[in-house]
Amino acid sequence: MDFENYEIDPSIYDEMFLPDGAPREHCRQVHDALVLLSEEELGNIQERVTRSFSNEGITFTVYGDDEADERIIPIDCVPRVMSGADWRQLEAGLTQRLKALNLFLEDVYGPARIIEDGVIPVDVVRGCPQYRVEMRGFSAPHGTWVAICGTDLVRTNDGFRVLEDNLRVPSGVSYMLANRKAAKGSLRRLYRSSRVQEVEHYGRVLLETLRDLAPRGRSDPTIALLTPGVYNSAFYEHMFLAHEIGAELVEGRDLLVNDGFVYMRTTAGLRRVDVVYRRVDDDFIDPLVFRADSLLGVPGLMHAYKLGNVALVNAPGTGVADDKSVYAYVPEMIRYYLGEEAILSNVDTRLCRRPEDLEYTLDNLQDLVVKRVGESGGYGMLIGPHSTPEERDEYADQVRANPADFISQPVLALSRSPCLIDGSFEPRHVDLRPFVLHGRETRIAPGAFCRVALRRGSLVVNSSQGGGGKDFWVLED
Amino acid sequence: MLSRSAQGLYWMGRYLERAEHLCGLLRLQTETLVDRPVREIHFGWTRIYGSMNRPPPFGEIEMDSDDYTLADSYALADDLTFERSNPTSIWSCFALGRENARQMRHCISAEMWTQLNLAYLRIQKLSIQDIWWMSPESFYATTSAEINTFAGVAESTMYRDDGWRFMQLGRSVERAQLSAGLILTQLSADPSKEEEDADWTSLLRICHAFEAYNRRYGVEVQTGHALDLLVTDPLLPNSLCRSLDMTAEELAAIDPGPDTRSSDAARRLAGRLGALIHYEWPDREDREALLRQVRGYCLDLHDLVTAAYFDYPIEDHPAR
Repeated sequence: MDFENYEIDPSIYDEMFLPDGAPREHCRQVHDALVLLSEEELGNIQERVTRSFSNEGITFTVYGDDEADERIIPIDCVPRVMSGADWRQLEAGLTQRLKALNLFLEDVYGPARIIEDGVIPVDVVRGCPQYRVEMRGFSAPHGTWVAICGTDLVRTNDGFRVLEDNLRVPSGVSYMLANRKAAKGSLRRLYRSSRVQEVEHYGRVLLETLRDLAPRGRSDPTIALLTPGVYNSAFYEHMFLAHEIGAELVEGRDLLVNDGFVYMRTTAGLRRVDVVYRRVDDDFIDPLVFRADSLLGVPGLMHAYKLGNVALVNAPGTGVADDKSVYAYVPEMIRYYLGEEAILSNVDTRLCRRPEDLEYTLDNLQDLVVKRVGESGGYGMLIGPHSTPEERDEYADQVRANPADFISQPVLALSRSPCLIDGSFEPRHVDLRPFVLHGRETRIAPGAFCRVALRRGSLVVNSSQGGGGKDFWVLED
Repeated sequence: MLSRSAQGLYWMGRYLERAEHLCGLLRLQTETLVDRPVREIHFGWTRIYGSMNRPPPFGEIEMDSDDYTLADSYALADDLTFERSNPTSIWSCFALGRENARQMRHCISAEMWTQLNLAYLRIQKLSIQDIWWMSPESFYATTSAEINTFAGVAESTMYRDDGWRFMQLGRSVERAQLSAGLILTQLSADPSKEEEDADWTSLLRICHAFEAYNRRYGVEVQTGHALDLLVTDPLLPNSLCRSLDMTAEELAAIDPGPDTRSSDAARRLAGRLGALIHYEWPDREDREALLRQVRGYCLDLHDLVTAAYFDYPIEDHPAR
């Protein structure tokens, strides 16, 4: 099927095509193969991809008025392709960024030199709701606060930009693996001839990372993945990862703390747990320390953690480093801690807590994206160009009432990638979430969860709001 | 293994066994609707509800003319097959079995999950209208075959760890309890001689035992022989004695739990259950009482297994 009617807009970076309409060099092979396929063949490929998700029950949960609904994330069968050279640049940038963020966390919960030296205002850090006073004075094993990070990246005509560092309990890696499996099963020969770098070893790499962090002297650590339970929207992923790394999949009620050690309830009695890969938010992990009404957590878990008898991955308190206000300072952090310039740029961000930024934001609402600092998942934000005057007025009132809760950014021309929509190729906006692991060293699988805004013109890629996914191929050189 | 995982697999085994059992009952019952007298249809429904220990949804089932019986049958089949609010409908048992599997997917093989999920997706789309007018019995046959395929896939792909044992334990306990209940309901009925023969024939069919009966005793169905076959024949795959032997075997293979009092008691009870059938059954006059005892012991056994492995008090059994 040809790309004759495929729209190319030179102001938006297209992942497959140059502005003049010729395929990019590294995409040529995939492009040519797609052109050779008939509409019917492509339809079959798409159907096979969708069916493999449904048959395998790869679902996420959406909460409606009635009951929780198991849904399948829509997956587009056309892969997004990246050259090895581009990937190496990303890899270097991600490694650098995570290194600085871990140093920042070790610093702000310790001597707080970065605040003392005036690089980041104290209220930005201490005023952040994710700053955990309980962690002050704590030093994370090997300096690793964030062991698993899922950075959101976008590409524009000016290069890559980091949209968000997800440093708490990032999800989506199971889609990276499931998309790959579906792509292999449906594109077969094209996959083989394209020489795509493998991502299947992610589970092993994750396991190595978790083992790196086991308490001293526990050479064969018992690892448990702590899930909020089957009603969590990412439950499939928790189950999948537990299976991949051979960990027990536990809920809070399966664990208990006794004399400062963590145990799980097995059919043969209590068994000590050394590493908890927790997919439960800080607020809920220990009702004795954080939210007392939490039923998902384990009373005493923080006590055991601080004694060094169990590893918690990621460490509690990492949310202060991916806060939307703190984000604006990451390039400074890189300069401050590493003496380097950031390889990956931020999106220009204005903090409405600063009067001049507030004024600019309110004056230019129709051209900006405004986000609420504490929200994620695409909720609570205003996309200026897609909003009505009434919506902007209402939003402006909220911003004026609590300026510190808001940041604004220019609307980015997110890159687009061809997707199969109603039997023809159409461009759709995409982003990218690679997963960076760090135990004693940084490990990155050459792949990512590529999210797609499937609605025409939409910039929202979140799966809870009509987003989908596609496989992402990093080619060998 | 994690207690909650073991419990999930145990329940998965139980629910799927129950769904399969119901499929067998309903398959035969819907066949009965085609050519059997109203009395037999009526007895069939009473037997099903009696063996499930559950009252029919609209009060006692009336024995009426053909038309009424068939209309009732539609409603009763719906109640037993698709009714979401009936916790022992096929749909509910299947959905609960699959839900346990979904939560314990990391403990079973990928092939098992796929088999079960595909079946679930199929059943999910159906309602009583979809199956009733053409051939309801083929729906029950297909569903039953899907569960049996699941068991076969498990047999050939699942690692034989404690997870396997607990799943098998759930299946065998459930099966023993259900067959004891079913035979008991049959014995409590009081039909004429001719009717009795027909009812035992249908019971043998439900238990996949009719061909075995023919091979062993010939074509003439006699109550005593049928009963012996269903209860004591070690060659019949789902005879009561086989289910009980399997229960005892699985329990013996699982390491004792931290609460050894409960796990030892569970093993002894499983042994006693086997002994009831192997050694007491042949000489026992009052077989209804014995079956009632078996059914009660199955409930006790469930409680002991739960106390020994899933829900033990941790204060008394500190970490080792």
